[in-house]
Amino acid sequence: MSPDLAPGDQLLEGRVVLVTGGASGLGLGMATAMAAHGAAVVLACRRPETGEPAAVQLREAGHDVRCVRCDVASADDLRAAVEATVTAHGRLDCMVHNAIAPTLGPTRIQDVAQDHWDAMMATAIRATFEGARAAHPHLREAGGSMILMTSAAGMEGSASLPVYAMVKAAQRTLAKGLAAEWGADGIRVNCIAPVALTPAMERAYGENPVLHERLLERTPLGRIGDPLDDVGPVAVFLASEMARFITGQTLCVDGGGFLGL
Amino acid sequence: MADGTRTLLVGDGPLAAGLHDGLVHRGHVVAQVVPVGADGGTDIGAGIDAGIGAGVSLIGPPDLVVHVPQVPAGPVALVDQTTQQWVEACEAPMAEAFAVARACRPHLSDGARLVWVLPTVAMGGAAGYVGSAAASEGIRALAKSAARQWGPDGLTTAVLAVAPELAFPPDTGAGARTSAATTLTGPALGGPGDAFGDIAPLLDLLADPAARFMTGATLVADGGVWMAP
Repeated sequence: MSPDLAPGDQLLEGRVVLVTGGASGLGLGMATAMAAHGAAVVLACRRPETGEPAAVQLREAGHDVRCVRCDVASADDLRAAVEATVTAHGRLDCMVHNAIAPTLGPTRIQDVAQDHWDAMMATAIRATFEGARAAHPHLREAGGSMILMTSAAGMEGSASLPVYAMVKAAQRTLAKGLAAEWGADGIRVNCIAPVALTPAMERAYGENPVLHERLLERTPLGRIGDPLDDVGPVAVFLASEMARFITGQTLCVDGGGFLGL
Repeated sequence: MADGTRTLLVGDGPLAAGLHDGLVHRGHVVAQVVPVGADGGTDIGAGIDAGIGAGVSLIGPPDLVVHVPQVPAGPVALVDQTTQQWVEACEAPMAEAFAVARACRPHLSDGARLVWVLPTVAMGGAAGYVGSAAASEGIRALAKSAARQWGPDGLTTAVLAVAPELAFPPDTGAGARTSAATTLTGPALGGPGDAFGDIAPLLDLLADPAARFMTGATLVADGGVWMAP
């Protein structure tokens, strides 16, 4: 595909995308945007009872979207999701690893519970490793890309979410290392660091009533992003041929909230 | 800092040994703790408490805690790693760092500092060391989060980022290859330095009360390879 595209062209026509945590929030926003740009999308969801209705709704809108059950804490589930995608569509062009365990509320370092640590590690770090291993041969064959979700918390630390900050930082450097290892295979690996109104963000607002105001204060564009309209297009771009010379990078999609890169 | 700085050094291997000797040479009273379960455990709980407690009983409440996380023996491409290799390279060092922070926190009082010594691959990633580099960056974020949480109590943190040649086993040559992938021209100061003479003095500097207004930051001491941003 040539990057010389006219407005309205389908940037992901003929591409196949797998999105973990695709049933809601950022995952669904990115999946919807990618489907709208012509991709066949597979939503990998821990709870099909939420993922399947989302897939049905997108199919009714004319998109090629299906749902597979996948708990990203399970390597077997991740491998099965990748294989189901390739079996259904014959290829895999992009894997978006978006799923992560709930962040809980503000937590002191000394009070973090082992099970919370284990859940964050399993869903953010181990799942990236297992997902990358499973997707690698297919991404190499397609000359595809991988997108990981990171956060400003990973770059500036977090007084309230120290484990979340750790795993998001680790995912960012993981993307850089994978970009170095996979460049010769023609695979690109990038990160998105979003701030968007998701169910998780709404829960965080509930736990911290001043959070919304604080976020707005530090956001030059003066609003919180939308998963579909603000973050989705960036996922489309990174998965597309338009971004063919971009790898190992983090795109902050946060209205200018984090300016430290 | 004046002689008698009480330093708890957590870690094993050539880098930790060089730091130990360099700190002792500069007058620190050092207790070294070799983490138990550094073979891939992911326990963030009591596993390291006993070692930290024993070290504190030897030297008293530490002014400076230095953690040198474990690194893998050699480079392995991510797709060639077993899950256990991944855990040992990435998840275990992060868990160890978190456990160190938790275990030492009750022993730290106003003016104390916690420092992680990490390879610069934390910032740039590294082929063959994807997991180790990711872990290092995760630990760098922990240093920032701890700085934000503990600052009101007068506690500070820092990261001392050193050349990969110092952090990775020298016999593999991996450190030099990683540095070469970072720069076109080599280290500005001619080499990666050594733990005893180049890095330990910076730990001494970080322990000095004159440095008390710096927290959560990364000090890069790699001879002038990594200069971004």
